Amino acid sequence: MGKIFRYECRRLLWNKFFAGLLLVLLFYGWQVLTGVTILGVSHTAPFSPWSFGDYLSRMVPLLWIGSLFFLTFFTSGKARRAAVLTDAAPMEPRRYALARCAAALAGAALLALACLAEAAVFYGWYFDWYGWEELALPALAALVPPLLFALGSGWLLGWLRPWLVYVWMLVPFALPALPLPEALGLWDGSFFTAYPLTLGALDPAFSLPGGAAAAQGALLLAGAGLLALRPVGSGTGRRTGGEEIAREK
Amino acid sequence: MEIAIENVSMTYPNGKQALRELDLELKSPSLVGLLGPNGAGKSTLMKLLVSALAPTAGTILADGQPLEKAERQLKARLGYLPQDFGLFDELTVTQFLDYMAALKGLRGPQAAIREVIRAVNLEEKARARIRTLSGGQRQRVGIAQALLGDPAFLIFDEPTVGLDPEERIHFRNLFSRAAQDRLVLLSTHIIEDVQSVCDQLVVMDHGQILFAGTPEALIQSAAGHVGVFWEREAGQEAGLHITARVNTGRGVRCRAVADTLPAYAQPSEPSLEDAYLYLIHLHSKEAAL
Repeated sequence: MGKIFRYECRRLLWNKFFAGLLLVLLFYGWQVLTGVTILGVSHTAPFSPWSFGDYLSRMVPLLWIGSLFFLTFFTSGKARRAAVLTDAAPMEPRRYALARCAAALAGAALLALACLAEAAVFYGWYFDWYGWEELALPALAALVPPLLFALGSGWLLGWLRPWLVYVWMLVPFALPALPLPEALGLWDGSFFTAYPLTLGALDPAFSLPGGAAAAQGALLLAGAGLLALRPVGSGTGRRTGGEEIAREK
Repeated sequence: MEIAIENVSMTYPNGKQALRELDLELKSPSLVGLLGPNGAGKSTLMKLLVSALAPTAGTILADGQPLEKAERQLKARLGYLPQDFGLFDELTVTQFLDYMAALKGLRGPQAAIREVIRAVNLEEKARARIRTLSGGQRQRVGIAQALLGDPAFLIFDEPTVGLDPEERIHFRNLFSRAAQDRLVLLSTHIIEDVQSVCDQLVVMDHGQILFAGTPEALIQSAAGHVGVFWEREAGQEAGLHITARVNTGRGVRCRAVADTLPAYAQPSEPSLEDAYLYLIHLHSKEAAL
């Protein structure tokens, strides 16, 4: 299983698209850090958890696309054609899916780490500031639930129809246009700018209201649940032939 | 290795009946040629044998065990080359085979990988990325992954597609050598491929088995039904199924199969191709009635 994981990581991370995505991510991140975060959001310092959370919220759409991009390696038509060989092998389908899922998670984690590392460089360079422990909670709240949900839901959608993964990539761009309740402020990126203004203090300490925490918790659980119950491969296990006909069409 | 197919039918969810009440026994060592026109049900049968599909009726037994209960045991002894397959273009040939070896649970697979790369004549491309390979070379990677781990049961669906004549002969010989102590099932459209190496033949059409036996028995079944004649008048070919037509200085020489040969046709020794075409022709006529 370790070998499959290593080869899958190689497939996902050693290609032009990943390099390109990483460059775009870092370029956009630097623009956000030097254009928006440097000014601080909602009357807080640039290195406050709120400003940092706002930076991460702005990075989430690209990270979401990146995470779903990894899944296309397993769900595309080309991948399904390779699955006729891998499905005929005796490895237990759930173990195989787990190794691939772990590789996709590793890829998503690597992209997220690149964003965090870039912010670290920015804070060190511009402000000589290294108080990272304060930023752990907003980072966890802003990144882990959506990325886990992207992988869980993307895996299911890709298994149903490969093109749905590409449609799903657009979701973070559509969310800000929707009239979401306050509790879902982390989903459309408004939480880190709107919520501190309601606290009635200058540069308030970071806190997550119950509604927002519940929404992120639900997203996290849904993502973890979808990954745990993920369909295995493109059709491992015995099929009725419906997929064959769908493929012929 | 022993495979028993008992009263197996397969109907797809759209209502298309691909296989009808098949009964067949396959035992190693043997190289079994599976012949049939497009849509005969050959690929569906192979997908059932590798558990990619489940039959809608009947049972498949692998060494006496129902396939649905012994799927993993069967897969552990199986090498499969489907007709249409994909490879991981990002990996090199060696890396892809190493990946497949891990899926097959092979320990210390380097020697086995070198051996199959040598068997399919891909030594020069062992370190090449799969995306740089030609169609024939990709086909050889597919054959290599099937051979990996020395499986007791090999299934090849149209393995010589995309290979040049020299390579086809090489692989025919390779399959023949593999069948010395294994069960090899070889599906193909190319009669030459099965004629020279298979000791058993199964002919299918419209989801049914029309013939199962030795190539000699199939040839024998067409004796007296193959003839040659000179093409002289229009309408001369009515009731005949022309299998060859050669332009010569004296006119057009035709070879045909028929239930009853006309008087102007001179009887000829049937070839395997004649016998196969006669069987399919006969079955089509019966089905039309």
